[in-house]
Parts: sequence; structure tokens; C-alpha cells
Amino acid sequence: MSTAYTRYERAADFGTPPVEAAKQVTLTIDGEEVTVPEGTTVLRAAALNGINIPKLCATDSLEPFGSCRLCLVEIEGMKGLPASCTTEAKQGMKVTTQNKKIADTRRNVMELYISDHPLDCLTCAENGDCELQDMAGVVGLREVRYGYKGANHFDIPKDKSNPYFTFDPTKCIVCSRCVRACEDVQGTFALTIQGRGFDSKVSASQNQPFLDSECVSCGACVQACPTATLTENTLIEQGMPEHTVITTCAYCGVGCSFRAEMKGQQVVRMVPNKDGHANHGHSCVKGRFAFGYATHKDRIKKPMIRETIHEPWREVSWDEAFEFTAKKIKGIQAKYGKGAVGGITSSRCTNEETYLVQKLVRAAFGNNNVDTCARVCHSPTGYGLKATIGESAGTQAFDSVMKSDVVIVIGANPTAAHPVFASQMKRRLREGANLIVIDPREIELVRSVHVKADYHLQLKPGTNAAVLNALAHVIMAEGLEDKKFIEERCDKEGFEVWKQFILDPTNSPEHVFEETGVPPELIRGAARLYASKPNGAIYYGLGVTEHSQGSTTVMAIANLAMCTGNIGREGVGVNPLRGQNNVQGSCDMGSFPHELPGYRHVSDPVVRSMFNKEWGVEIQPEPGMRIPNMFDAAVAGEFKALYVQGEDVAQSDPDTHHVTNALSSLECMIVQDIFLNETAKFAHVFLPGSSFLEKNGTFTNAERRISPVRKVMEPLAGLEDWEVTQRLSNVLGYPMNYKHPSEIMDEIARLTPTFTGVSYEKLEKLGSIQWPCNEKAENGTPTMHIGEFVRGKGLFKVTPYVATDEVTTRMYPLLLTTGRILSQYNVGAQTRRTENVKWHDEDVLEIHPHDAEQRGIENGDWVGLKSRAGETVLRAMISERIQPGVVYTTFHHPFSGANVVTTDNSDWATNCPEYKVTAVQASKVTKLSEWQLNFAKFTEDQLDYLRKAREHEPVR
Amino acid sequence: MDLAKLEKMANQIAANVDYGPDKDKVVATVTDHLKRFWTPAMRAAIIDAHRKNTVALSPVAAKAVEALPPPKTNAA
Repeated sequence: MSTAYTRYERAADFGTPPVEAAKQVTLTIDGEEVTVPEGTTVLRAAALNGINIPKLCATDSLEPFGSCRLCLVEIEGMKGLPASCTTEAKQGMKVTTQNKKIADTRRNVMELYISDHPLDCLTCAENGDCELQDMAGVVGLREVRYGYKGANHFDIPKDKSNPYFTFDPTKCIVCSRCVRACEDVQGTFALTIQGRGFDSKVSASQNQPFLDSECVSCGACVQACPTATLTENTLIEQGMPEHTVITTCAYCGVGCSFRAEMKGQQVVRMVPNKDGHANHGHSCVKGRFAFGYATHKDRIKKPMIRETIHEPWREVSWDEAFEFTAKKIKGIQAKYGKGAVGGITSSRCTNEETYLVQKLVRAAFGNNNVDTCARVCHSPTGYGLKATIGESAGTQAFDSVMKSDVVIVIGANPTAAHPVFASQMKRRLREGANLIVIDPREIELVRSVHVKADYHLQLKPGTNAAVLNALAHVIMAEGLEDKKFIEERCDKEGFEVWKQFILDPTNSPEHVFEETGVPPELIRGAARLYASKPNGAIYYGLGVTEHSQGSTTVMAIANLAMCTGNIGREGVGVNPLRGQNNVQGSCDMGSFPHELPGYRHVSDPVVRSMFNKEWGVEIQPEPGMRIPNMFDAAVAGEFKALYVQGEDVAQSDPDTHHVTNALSSLECMIVQDIFLNETAKFAHVFLPGSSFLEKNGTFTNAERRISPVRKVMEPLAGLEDWEVTQRLSNVLGYPMNYKHPSEIMDEIARLTPTFTGVSYEKLEKLGSIQWPCNEKAENGTPTMHIGEFVRGKGLFKVTPYVATDEVTTRMYPLLLTTGRILSQYNVGAQTRRTENVKWHDEDVLEIHPHDAEQRGIENGDWVGLKSRAGETVLRAMISERIQPGVVYTTFHHPFSGANVVTTDNSDWATNCPEYKVTAVQASKVTKLSEWQLNFAKFTEDQLDYLRKAREHEPVR
Repeated sequence: MDLAKLEKMANQIAANVDYGPDKDKVVATVTDHLKRFWTPAMRAAIIDAHRKNTVALSPVAAKAVEALPPPKTNAA
């Protein structure tokens, strides 16, 4: 992607949101004929035609409010001066936007505003970018006849509690844009206008400091504020940006588009892109504010090597690091065989980087031992959706939810893990769509401001498949299925077998009650609701996939959508919410050991021959090792070297004892990352990586949207990640000669049928592209399976519920389930190095009051959490969000050791770990676990080895 | 190779696809799964362990393993 710098200017604002309407109306504005969709406001109609009527309380991300009295116009036949923001354009209307009467009125309005506004413009952070300042100029304000000595708000102190923005009430004009943004855009309703008249003021929650309030720090209020009342601290510190670059967020699978607002190579602020196709100008606390990790002092900027993990690192040149690595790899392959080495691609890196790592493994290592972190999150999605509907991806665009009539959210917590999409979903729910939540916990969506689930099926962890089968049982038994859709769109034989299976009484809600704990009438009610509405959509997350029946449950979801005809149009579908920014992309790029890019099995000779020809090698026809297979083989002494790009398996993967045993068994561990993460502490080679701000490429989000990632600063270590892989490959003897990531994408397009139409040139033109993008869909495919499934006929798969082995016993009477919270991301390597720790500085154990009381545990107590895999200690947080018998924690902090407790149990089809069900005991303790003490010592040693790296002679 | 894990995985696959009267089809599904997703070394190990009776496979898993062709193990 060429980095096209754009001179900084405020994003265009048409005053009120766009309107979609079949009918057009023509009106006259200042003598010019203007045609707009019916329902468009006069303010917007004028703006679309280059007439910028003054405004303050109006902005096109919010519905009009009509309070500032600045956008007044004259309209023939209407009395007075109506506000153009709340007046709809009508056929034949004649509008005058400027004359003496209008000008005098506007100037009078501004005079009143400015009489209670500090005149410190030259030292104000928003100087040059303040809408109030602009409007004062536009209306020609030359004096304030009231003076400045009357009652005012000049002495109200600033609220600096939020680490990312400052609230300065002295600058507030009470336009309510912040309040409306919090309500309409974010859907949190944390802000209100307190008091009346002169006493009116913006208040966070019950007039609390922002940090203590319900505010989720999404930044929508800061974005909406037309003055310096709500301002980013980085802007206050650094001043106005001078250029901008459009790029894509590197946090979750929503893949928000951002304007990186820059001064030289310094990011002043990240502002959500109004034209962003995934986020439409909205953001969350992570993408909007938590980018400081990219320049954190912990960044490693020099390659390092060492012979063993019990000795100090040595900083070396890139050449020496590559030579050292290649020698090790070649030596290991010569001694133990070609298959004794492998690689792990990253869902945080770009498509191009991921593609190169799998290519390096298959072409330079000469085996298929490549896997990706999707193994531990969405591999069952790949398996289950491929088997049923024919493509390993979600079926919809995010915007599709705005046409849903009923939404099922199962095993996902969008307000925490996919917050920008959650805001969009909440908007639809507030408009009246129904909601069914299937989750062991009472997630926020179950009951929050103006959103309440119609059904919360609070099942026991591990019983998703049984509940989904019961939902389908009710639909089929009560004749609620879409017979026409099934007849026309689905495989007849498969359906008949499935129908017989699903109608079996063992799948009835009453039969599964004991297992699932969900009252049968709730399942029946939810099934009727989902089947009865015109458009039903299913959204799911890792609470579906990370189970021993993960793949079964994904197939059961597809069955449910197919039997109700809820696939192949907007408003419906099967939608996996991907955890990391590029999980979809890393899977698309051939990161799985059995599949080449485009989800094609390595055993297919036709596919292999294409790659053989392009790559000039013979690709192995057999599947390689999955990540858990690599670990098992390492412990058994059969696997000796691993190249890990941008993943932290030592923290993120289950059964930490086993993982660290495996890593310790390797003769050569190569980690490419921006920090010395937990995995790197077991490494012999450290190749410093580049953050998303330091490289070019693309990410693919959960809706299959390929979006550009653009370099806004030079890589701190000198190389972009794709360049590191390329140079390693060259030293290994397999030549790669890409000059730019666009050339890698061109190769991907040549080899992958769903990407044949993708190019950087087209991405520049369209902004983003949803694959498939090929000769059949030149601009991409927002909705899949229209008219026909990718595999032809949809295939119903029989989904017997097989209970997990991980059951409670007298020794381990509780079930532990794990998840995420809003402010932290995955293993926390990025967000722990930002001010986001103010919201979450340690992982805690949520425990129901009943279970806590039985064990004498009180809020904040140290609790020992023990499973058959291991033991750790966390602080207790007593919560009724979870049911009795279930405990919950997150895994954002390494010292918490959540994965010391999780086991090696996994999904039957894909080996995706069963993070969501671990039988445990919790008891009050007074000291840390043995693992934690050992971990602290090991960490201390490793950090000392890092410090010593810099004591050696400098790198030439 | 961790035979206990291979044994568990094979039995788990068999249990999760075991539906319907046509057991030959079920066995073929398990065999196909092992061929598509297990490395040749893993398949060789389970074949060998099953022959030596050092793993306890369910009837479906056992038949599926017996139906596996001997893999070439030099690649992975």
C-alpha cells in the first residue's frame, strides 16, 4: 500500500446522517436546484451541494437535535427562521441560507455563547480545529455586548481522571453532542445533561469523575465535541497533527478503519474513520487510545541470539541473526529429519506476512508443519462451516445486523471483545429487534440500558451443542422450519438423515434439561422466536468453539440457520466474531497444516501443482503438525525447532506446564515479536518485529473485509515483518525477492480463487474489499450464499451431543470458564503496556456468592484455583453474573496463570483447546502458588539476561 | 509420540461422528478424518500401537485405524 500522506484537515461533516430513500425530492437552495433522497434535512442537502450552513449542535454522526439555533434559514411559506438541521427537504421548497435577518440572528446567538466562554484561544488545545472558533468567524462576531463579568462557568475544575482525555467544563456549550454520541453511537448512556437552564452541565453517571463512571472510554464523546471541552491528552500535549494516514486497527476482529493523525513520525491521535466500512466512524478504548505500546520502552529493537535459554542474550546484526538461525535449522533437519521443524503464523500480523511464513515452512523448511493461533480459537469455525455451507467464513457484513429482526448471541461477549460491532448491534436492538443470549454468564447484553434479552439460556458450560440441538428439535417438531428453503437450497439426503436425528426425543428440551440446566420452556420460547421472525441472525464467539464439541456446535449453528432459511440475504446468517484482528486472514492465507491458501487441502494434486509451479518446489502432500501435535512431539524429543511470528503460546495456550516443557525441549526456538513476551523467554533467537504502525499490508476482519494497513512510521528495528521472513528464507536457501507487500498480494491473488480480483490498486480505489473478490464479484461480496451455497447445496450435518470428559468431581467441584474484558486484549502484551491497566491491572476470579460463602471467601481474598493440570492464585470478585457452581476468569496477565489451570482437552475435530470448561476447586489461601513463585524467578532471570544483552559490544 | 493422546483423539473423533445404522460409513468418516488431519507419523504410531494392543480404541476407532493405508513417514 502506498502511504499517501494527506494534509491534516477536519473530516467532512454534512450536519445530519445520510438517508436512504427510493424517492428523490428537488428543492431550491439560494436559487440553485438541489435533488436529494426524500427525508434528507435542509442542512445536509445544502452541505451536499457545497453550501455550509453554520452549525454547532449538528454533526452527521448523530440524529439532529435542533438546540444551537445557528443553522437557521428562511423557507418560503414557513414562519420565522426554522432550524435547517431538523427541517426535512420537501419537493419544491425554496430555501434562503443567508440574508441580513439570518446573519443578525446567528451573530446574536454566537454572542450569547461567547459571553460564557474563555477567550484563551491561542493557548487552547483545539486552536485551529475548534468548531466554536470557526463559527465565531463565520458569523462575523466582532464584539460581545454583554461583557464577560456576568455569571459564568469559568471556575469549574477540569476532570483529568480518564488517562486518555480531559473534560474541561469551562469550554462546554451544552450542545449535547457528547451525550447523544454516548447514547446513539456507543449505546452506553453514561453521560447526561444535569440541571436546567444556566445550571445545565454534562455529567458522567451520577456526576462522577469519568474514570469512576460508567463511561467505557470509547472516545465517541471526544470525537463529537465541537469545542475543547473533551480533548485527547495527546493533543493537549503535542498540538495539532499536520498530516493523516488511513489505516486499520490491530486489535480485535472488527477491524476498524482509523485516521492516524500525525506529526512527522509521531502519532498524535488515532481517530476512527468516518468512511470506515466496518466501523463508520466509531471506535473503542483499545483502538482509539491504546496505541502507546508501539513506542513503549520495552520494545526490542535489535536482533538477539543465545545458545541456551539459561544464558544472557547477545545483541547481533540482522545478518548474524539470520546466519545463526539458518545454521541451527539446517543442522536440526540434517540430524533429526526435515519434519523436526515448524512454524506458527500470527493472527496479529498482516495477510502478506502470514502468507510468507506458511510459504517459508512449506517451501524452505520443506514440510507442512505450520499452524496458527486460530488453532486455539476459531479452527472449529473453519471445519464446521466448510462442512455445512462450504466456506470457512462468516456469511454477512456487520451492517447486515441493521436488518435483523431477531439476534442470537451464543458464546460471545461483544460489548467486551468486539465493542464497535456491539454498539451497532445494540442500536438495532434499541430499534426493536429481539435478542436471545445463550451463555453461562449474564453478559452485558442480557441486561443493560435500553437493551434486554428476550431469552437468556443460561446453560451449564460445555452444553452448547445440546441446547442448539434442542432449539432445532422444537423448530422441526412444531413445523416451524422453512420448507421451501430446505427443498430448494439444501441437500435432500443430508436433510432427511438430520431430520430423523433431530426429531429423536433425546434432543427435546425436556430431555436435555438435566444436562444443560436450561428450563425447557425457555428453549421452546427462544426457538419459536428465532423461527418466527423474518430475519434471524446468529453471532457466536469462542464460547462456541473452545469446547470438546466446538466443531459440532458450529455445525449445529449452521443447521439452525439452514432449517429456518436464515442464510443468503441481509439481516440473517452465521457470523463468527473473530478474536484477533487477522484471524480470518491468517486462516485464509493457508496457515493450517492441512490447507494451502484458500482452504484447499494439501492432498489435492491440482492445487499443489499450481503452488509447485509458482514456488518452484514440491509441496508435501500430507498434512503437517498442529500446534498441540508440535508440543507433544517436542516433549517426546521428535520436534526440535519452532519459528513463531507474533504469538505468545507460552501464555495463550492451555496447560502451561505442558507448553513450557515443550518449549524448553526445543534446540532452536525463534521468536519474532515486538516485545520479549512469555514465549520469547524460551527462545534462542529473537527477531524484533514491527507494530502495525510500522508496516504496509492488509488485515481481513470477521466479515471477510480486506483492509489496508499503512506504514506511518519507520520500523523501530529497521525491517517490516515480511522483510524479516524474506531474509530468513533467503539465508535458508529458498529465495524470496518481494520489493513491496503488494507483490505478495499479487501472488496470493494468482493462486487463490476467492482473491483473484484483489489488488492494492483496487484497495486504494474501494477502501476495503470483502472476499470472494473475483470475476464473479469484482468489487467483493458483502453477503455470501445468495441463491446458492458455496458448496452447491447446504449440507445438514448430524450433531450428536457428546459430553466433555472434563466433569466435576468431589475433588474439583466447580467449572472454570474463561473470557475477556473490554480494556485488555488477548495476552495483554499490547494493552498492559498502555494506560488501559487503569481499568484492569490484574485478572480476578469471579465466583458466585453462594460458592464464596461455602468456602469462606470474601471480595478481594486470595483464592487458590486448582485443576488436574495445575494451580494458581487469583483475587476473588464475588459476582452474580455467573451461576452457582461456575467460576470465571480472564487471561490478560501472565502472572495470573489462568492457563496453568486449563487442560489439554480439546475439540474432537480440530484440537481447539477446551478453555471454556475446566473442573476446578477454589479455596481461600494466603500465599501464591508454587507455579507463580517459579514463574517470578524465571521471569527475573530472563529480564536479567535481556539487560545483559546490552552490555556486550555494540552491533555494527 | 504421546500414544495416550492419540488414543483419546481417535476415540473422540469416533464418538462424535458415530450416528446412524450404517457403521461402515461411520468408520469411513473416521478413517478419512485421520487421513486428512493427522500427520503420517501420527497415523503410523496409532496403527502400530493398535497392532501391538497398547492403545484401547473404541470399536469404530479400531476399525477406522485398521482401514488406514500405511503412511510414508519421511515428510513430517
